[in-house]
Amino acid sequence: MQNTIKVERAILNITQDELARLIGVSRQTINSIEANRYVPSTVLALKLSKLFNKPVNDFFILGEND
Amino acid sequence: MDCERQRFNKIINFRLPHKFMSIGIAIAAVSIITMFIRAFVLEGDTLWLKELAKKGLLVGMLIMSISRDREEDEKTMLLRSQSYAIAFVVGVVYALVMPYIELGVSNVVNSGGEVYKDLGDFQVLSFMLLIQLMFYHNLKRYR
Repeated sequence: MQNTIKVERAILNITQDELARLIGVSRQTINSIEANRYVPSTVLALKLSKLFNKPVNDFFILGEND
Repeated sequence: MDCERQRFNKIINFRLPHKFMSIGIAIAAVSIITMFIRAFVLEGDTLWLKELAKKGLLVGMLIMSISRDREEDEKTMLLRSQSYAIAFVVGVVYALVMPYIELGVSNVVNSGGEVYKDLGDFQVLSFMLLIQLMFYHNLKRYR
């Protein structure tokens, strides 16, 4: 699973810490998601979707191995 | 059915508040210090103190294990369950293998050797809790 959370975060001009606080997780979790080390739950993905005002498919992309 | 599932979820998701982490550390530390004092300072029949310190160490480590993190989220919950799984597997392997290692070592050190004996509950439980805490904090560090 690939994602463009970092790009979306840059568009909103917010830090990892601010994004973490907005969706109620730790900064390290945001870092893990951005580095593709962790695939978030549907709830978290929908929270991000609401925040970025975009469908989940726009910033989460299935990889070849998924 | 739903009611039972909710009850199960309640049990599964049970965590103590974060402040209990310090209480757990304090109980475990006092227990370890008590073990040392009993072994090197106190004289006479203090077996009850040894048993009390053992129980104290287990309780302290259990409290540490089920205390919430300062920033508990779905990732830390995943890491916690992974650490429990690792601790369970490693604990079972330890309980199976360690008595034979102890037997082998005692046979090498003492020519007569000792008879085979299983590990005690304290040794297995404290090892599993130690592995769980160690893996959880390491997984969290390298998440």
